[in-house]
Amino acid sequence: MSTPPLVAQGLGKRFRRDWALRDLTLSIPKGAVVGLAGPNAAGKSTLLSLAAGMLAPSAGSISVLGGDPLASPEVLGEVGYVAQGAPLYRSFRVADTIEYARHTNSRWDREIAVELLTRIDSRAKVGTLSAGERARLALALALGKRPRLVLLDEPFASLDPLAARELLQLLMDGVAELGATVIVASHVVADIQRVCDHIVLLSSGCVRLEGDVEELLESHRLLTGPRRPLGAIRGVREVVRERYSGRQLTLLAITDGPIVDPSWTVDPVSLEELLLAYMAPERLPTPPTPERVPLRWHG
Amino acid sequence: MAWVTWRQHRSQGLGALGLLVALAVAAVLTHLPIGSAFDRDSLSACVPPAARTGCDLIVPHFEGQFGGLVTATRFLALLPLLAGVFVGAPLIARELEFGTYRFAWTQGVSRRRWLLSKTALLAAGIVVAAGVASLVVMWWRSPFDALEGRIGPNGFDVEGIVVPAYALFALALGVLAGLVFRRTVAAMTATLVAFAATRFLVSDFVRPHFMAPLHRVIAATAAGGAPGDWVLSNTLVDAGGRRITAGREDLAVLHAQQAGIDPHTYILTLGWRRVISYQPAGRFWTFQLLEAGLYAGLAVALVVVALWLVRRTPA
Repeated sequence: MSTPPLVAQGLGKRFRRDWALRDLTLSIPKGAVVGLAGPNAAGKSTLLSLAAGMLAPSAGSISVLGGDPLASPEVLGEVGYVAQGAPLYRSFRVADTIEYARHTNSRWDREIAVELLTRIDSRAKVGTLSAGERARLALALALGKRPRLVLLDEPFASLDPLAARELLQLLMDGVAELGATVIVASHVVADIQRVCDHIVLLSSGCVRLEGDVEELLESHRLLTGPRRPLGAIRGVREVVRERYSGRQLTLLAITDGPIVDPSWTVDPVSLEELLLAYMAPERLPTPPTPERVPLRWHG
Repeated sequence: MAWVTWRQHRSQGLGALGLLVALAVAAVLTHLPIGSAFDRDSLSACVPPAARTGCDLIVPHFEGQFGGLVTATRFLALLPLLAGVFVGAPLIARELEFGTYRFAWTQGVSRRRWLLSKTALLAAGIVVAAGVASLVVMWWRSPFDALEGRIGPNGFDVEGIVVPAYALFALALGVLAGLVFRRTVAAMTATLVAFAATRFLVSDFVRPHFMAPLHRVIAATAAGGAPGDWVLSNTLVDAGGRRITAGREDLAVLHAQQAGIDPHTYILTLGWRRVISYQPAGRFWTFQLLEAGLYAGLAVALVVVALWLVRRTPA
């Protein structure tokens, strides 16, 4: 197997005194479609900026397609990077923007770009495009480079759900054709869960969860049962989150075997639920412990 | 990158072209009366070293008549600054301000090559434009150059090869300022201030010493230096060679008046002389070469710093 398209080792980035990203070690497998999730200010954009050579690491290292994006910027020719808000020259016409990319990329593929822009007037100024058209143009520019790695930073941020879905479809079609590895950063889980097969969840600059989506879903279970003091549960390796509602207790747990205790109802977990659980603080504000719950005569 | 540079800077190119046309038209229109006056009074016969009788009257009259226009051409010394303020400063600052650097610097062209190609192509355009402007001004000033020389700041700053060199320097200054200050307006201001300061320092403190000035000793009552030279200083010295202060001179004149003697004669009898320190007119092109080399060298140094910084700049 060839080298992973993106490898981070002990990667850290500090802005003034705050660490936006800390001690991040990560390896993205080739061909994966990675959802880079996390709340706002989790460090998603910082990670993508580091990968695109827009920032220099404060600690550790990052390697993109086998090279350091800052020291050997030629790797950027094979990286399709769309920054947040898809910054483009507003005074350029669509055709000019395409020409720009053609003149600055040796691997430029006109077909791919044109395919993505079928419904956009090439004489229109970029500044007059709608958010959806602009995102499409940015994607066309990124994919037209025939990239081996695609980095998209919040590409759906200003799109309505329909446009977002359309864009995602275009992205997946293009990527399938190119066989590229994709990293899509988004704080809206729903945007990415449909397509990604790999998840990296960042929170406050650290990786909270990383892995293959199927494996993650397979290893996590929702356990619902009556409220009780928590001891070890057979088949549960670790409780990720406990939530109390009334007399009910819901656990999101990493399992390492079948749950045999019949008082638990075991359900599979959705990706959205999983991500939200890991995003939240370690333990949700714990309600009063069971002993202190006043006895009630009824129910 | 040539296409990219052309596409992004063509409006500035058109602006420069418009400016050149305006300059040429203004030059032709204002030169009409100058040329006819020059011919009518056959001033060519007054060009040094020839000196027809009456030149001492006609030449000052001619110079006085068009003195305002000559003063106005001094402002053309600011023209090269436009290259720095409107081309150099926004080059990087605008990309940083609008976030488009995230597009421009992640294409298949490294940001160092991006900066080098753009700066080089723009520099070529600017050199041509500044060269043409310089030629227009040289043509316009030719009667004045013939009569009063051009090594003095009036002519030197707006003629010859220093004009493209100033423009290159301004461009490089703007590019670096944009990279350092990251805001267009701040970069423009910094470019303006740094350019003006450098120009002032060089023309007042460095240029006079490019070559050791020549000295000429003349009678205390004679007029300044030979026409065409750049007079750096003009001091009155006594018979012993000591410098005479203005106070002492006034006192001498007062003495002469009280004694009823003509002050001029009195001063001559004192043995006072005038020492003129000057750069001769013949050194014009040597000085042009030295100053243009200095500014071009500075421009290259600034661009090298920018190329080094652009790679390290966290954007």
